Amino acid sequence: MTEKVKLIYEGKAKRVYATIEEDKFIIEFKDTATAFDGLKKAEISGKGEANCLISSKIFELLTIKGIRNHYIKRLDERNMLVKSVKIFPIEVIIRNKVAGSMAKRLGLEEGKVLEKPVLEFCYKSDELHDPMINEDHILALGLAKEEELSTIKEMSLETNKILIEFFKKCNLDLIDMKFEFGKDSKGDIYLADEISPDTCRLWELGTTMSWDKDRFRKDLGDVEEAYREVKERVMNTPIESSARILIRLKPSILDAQGSVILNALKSLGYSEVLEVRVGKLLELKLDRKIDEPERIEKMCKELLANPVMENYEWEWVE
Amino acid sequence: MNFGIVVFPGTNCDRDCYYVIEDILNQPVRFIWHKENNLKGIDCVVLPGGFSYGDYLRSGAIARFSPIMSSVKEFADRGGLVIGICNGFQILTEAELLPGALGRNKGLRFICKYVNLIIERNDTPFTSEFKKGEIVRMPIAHNEGNYYIDDLSKVEKQIVLKYYGENPNGSLANIAGIVNEKGNVFGLMPHPERCSEKILGSEDGLRIFKSIVRSL
Repeated sequence: MTEKVKLIYEGKAKRVYATIEEDKFIIEFKDTATAFDGLKKAEISGKGEANCLISSKIFELLTIKGIRNHYIKRLDERNMLVKSVKIFPIEVIIRNKVAGSMAKRLGLEEGKVLEKPVLEFCYKSDELHDPMINEDHILALGLAKEEELSTIKEMSLETNKILIEFFKKCNLDLIDMKFEFGKDSKGDIYLADEISPDTCRLWELGTTMSWDKDRFRKDLGDVEEAYREVKERVMNTPIESSARILIRLKPSILDAQGSVILNALKSLGYSEVLEVRVGKLLELKLDRKIDEPERIEKMCKELLANPVMENYEWEWVE
Repeated sequence: MNFGIVVFPGTNCDRDCYYVIEDILNQPVRFIWHKENNLKGIDCVVLPGGFSYGDYLRSGAIARFSPIMSSVKEFADRGGLVIGICNGFQILTEAELLPGALGRNKGLRFICKYVNLIIERNDTPFTSEFKKGEIVRMPIAHNEGNYYIDDLSKVEKQIVLKYYGENPNGSLANIAGIVNEKGNVFGLMPHPERCSEKILGSEDGLRIFKSIVRSL
């Protein structure tokens, strides 16, 4: 079912294949790295695998946090199954601290903290070297519709917030990153492409030490090691989430505690109270890496609730 | 008749059972720590009363996952005799070796007193020393003895003991003790080990242990 049928696109760091299913693509991550518009090129052993693993984990996190994205599942160390979406010819850059082209363009010191995240847009064109454009360009040239652009901006800012927090847990400072978005046949917008050290600037927290592609761009050495390190940190950081489980006696069972509380409330003058049911509330903190909703159901059935006497319901909590 | 008394963290009636079986009935008996899984040579497993795992979550809910419980289940499936007293009864329902569940007492209080019971069945290995319809006296000591099952007809034929006169805890159909369909697993809320000597006010409990010994 999930086999590569035809190569439909080959980029600097990835290949995209069509599958038998029209609405699914396979992305293969390559070890090739390029920089400065392809002027600098090298093979970095282990990069494809690292980026595939890192991106998968981050997309999983974003899915949990409600950011719609193209990720379906990881197929192996290098290949990821995604929803086929039509990519907008726009690169979205979001910056939290000054670095790279922004430092050069504006004569700012790298690492300067920005008062608020800065969004930039570039027109995706290799011939033109991805020139920077503004929102008016996007709308005037019909690269995206107004509502689409506003959704893209909103999703970018929200994703940035989520990832700043996540990378902090990996002891990494998210300086800036690049997104691509696409839309499906229904017009729903998806975060696409990859999220990895190739598309993010990541510094060791509290320092200016790069753990991203800048090691390659700037010949800082230990490039392979850097990808491996980020991969290790990302993979070892749990995606924490909480589930709240409410267990109550079945409606058919007299809740003696509830009745006593009901009487107490009534005697205090709260005559509007008709019934009180007392339940148990359990809050579980989970590592979503290993957890699936069915497993929470199983926990309830196996241990947490007694099906003879009790009902349970549960929800994820933010 | 070889008895094995399972001890969970929080069990507190294990020594009373041991005393009755060894000192009064002169039967071989040994304690079995809940982490063991060997029931070799045992003819009757006793799950005694207490507060296994502090009654956390629900009485008996955590104890049922102790390693010994899978052995107890196999033992019961092979027809071995299992008696669960009070917390032991709760563990047996949680482990689904007996149907139904034991909820909080209707009055929300821990009840510790003698009650009257009526023997509903004397054709089990646990009650052959009684007459059917006989009224006996045994002490109860529990907070969760309120037996519940959604459909009483499922267990009507399995009721062995009922509270007689007053229903102390709100238990459905006054149920105080039931057996499984095969009749080799028995759970009861009263404590027979606490009324096995005259000096304690009743010897009715001893007759349960005697029935077990006689059954073999």
